[in-house]
Amino acid sequence: MRRNLRALTPYVYLVPSLVLLGAFTYYPILRSLYVSFFDWNLFSPRPVYAGLANYRYLLQDPTFHLVLRNTLVYVAVTIPVTMALALITAVLLNERLGWLRDVYRVAAFYPTMVPMAAAGMLWVLLLNPSIGLVNHYLGYLGVRRIDWLYDMNWALPAIMLASVWKNYGYFMLIYLAGLQNIPSSLYEAADIEGAGFWHKLRYVTLPLVAPTTVFVFVVAIISSFQVFDLVYVMTQGGPGDRTNVLVYFIYQYAFRFGDWGMASALTVLFVAGLLVVILLVMRMVERRVHYEV
Amino acid sequence: MRSRTPTPSQLLQRLGLNKLLIHLILMMVAGVTAMPYLFALSTSLKHRTEVFTPVPQWIPSSLRFANYADAMAIAPFGTYFINTVIVVLGILAVQLVTATLAGYVFARLRFRGSSLLFGLFLIQMMLPVHAVIVPNYLTIKELGLLDTRVAMMMPFWASGYATFLLRQAFRQIPQDFEDAALIDGCSGPRFLWSVLIPLAKPTIIAFSLISIVTHWNDFLWPLIVTDSPQVRTLTIGLAMFVQQESGADWPLLMAGTILVTAPLMVLFLIYQRKFVESFMHAGVKG
Repeated sequence: MRRNLRALTPYVYLVPSLVLLGAFTYYPILRSLYVSFFDWNLFSPRPVYAGLANYRYLLQDPTFHLVLRNTLVYVAVTIPVTMALALITAVLLNERLGWLRDVYRVAAFYPTMVPMAAAGMLWVLLLNPSIGLVNHYLGYLGVRRIDWLYDMNWALPAIMLASVWKNYGYFMLIYLAGLQNIPSSLYEAADIEGAGFWHKLRYVTLPLVAPTTVFVFVVAIISSFQVFDLVYVMTQGGPGDRTNVLVYFIYQYAFRFGDWGMASALTVLFVAGLLVVILLVMRMVERRVHYEV
Repeated sequence: MRSRTPTPSQLLQRLGLNKLLIHLILMMVAGVTAMPYLFALSTSLKHRTEVFTPVPQWIPSSLRFANYADAMAIAPFGTYFINTVIVVLGILAVQLVTATLAGYVFARLRFRGSSLLFGLFLIQMMLPVHAVIVPNYLTIKELGLLDTRVAMMMPFWASGYATFLLRQAFRQIPQDFEDAALIDGCSGPRFLWSVLIPLAKPTIIAFSLISIVTHWNDFLWPLIVTDSPQVRTLTIGLAMFVQQESGADWPLLMAGTILVTAPLMVLFLIYQRKFVESFMHAGVKG
């Protein structure tokens, strides 16, 4: 009897977590899948089975195509830029720089403490076409006035700018931790060989921070596909849906148009897409980089 | 070596210019990064009309702290602040309990199905809550919990990330400790409470800080499950304040923005090292 109870202990301890995970992570996915097969919106307040109609509609919807494009452009531009800036800053900060090092580190990292929504507000001011700092300083470089958030072509880059500013400090810190794990004997050996800054960077630093790069990359993918707060605060998806992104699109369908069926179909496509991307990245990486979990 | 002509970087190094160059680059990066917040701070202290100068002014002609009082009079930032503290701590408290139990089980006990179950926790790390807001909203609605503080906390109570971090921390504690404790008659829950948890304190602190920062900054989920200012948090309060004040009273808007960011920012500046260490610690090992 006692033995049997003992054997149950692990499961008992896991109950709270598993119930919550089930209720708010796994059940929601299944539920979205189910609801996505129904017409359930303001015109059809009771769910009516509709097969693949929601998916079929989305696949030929030009707005959805634009939203996908915006999201992919945002991801494809912000991730490399943010990671490169983070790595460069981290490599430079890893040198002996005295007390100024703390100052630089605080200055680069503090945006992590600023809520995305507040960060959006800061950039709405900075990017204001007439009174903002950005246009003013660009003016010195001979750049003509840009209407940023009101311009079809500049609104998305404006949001990407805010995003890089907000995120690179966090990745920089993770890189710094990775750099500090590199044994200094390797650098000493490189010094004896007469390797300069660039050689050490290329043949010691970069290969040895590869596991950190993988980690940062995966975190960046997960977080950048979810961009929402900046869009909500800075542009509400405009002008002309040019900054509308996946999560904002889901939000619109559910909470502005009251279309639960369509919002669920989008949720399913989003979750499935994200998982496929992450699995592909892991696959690709596993062959090249050896890292410990 | 000595006879070779030095490469440009070696030349720089010899002249001590390398360090100078690094300082210059970092100063630029740090300066540009600091600018948005500093400019908002400066704007928040200006007079309403002072913003519209042809050349942006960094130093206000006089410091108008009244803007902060005005912002607080328009929106209940005090209530938002208290709600945020309740929600953030409510999330953290439950997370620590669920993740400690689960982390302990995965780190120290052997049982059937452990790797499959652990997989469920790992996959959660890749499935962000933002992906499933719609079905979760429906769940919260059916539970009758819309527009409550609990609704803002529930989806975060189980954390795959916390479980993973604590499992790592508990695993690093040598088996000898457990054997010794067993001889003293300390096993199971008591061993967890009086040996493992105290030894995992750095990880617990690191995770706590990250959780606090993350949920202090939450936006989308609190936005959709709440309606009334009585339960709303700071970030939502700010967005509502901005929509309400859509005129061009920039100093007022920036005073609101600074108010919302100030609590964490002050904490961060005071405990800068602790924050930095925690984010580094949990980042690499996570």
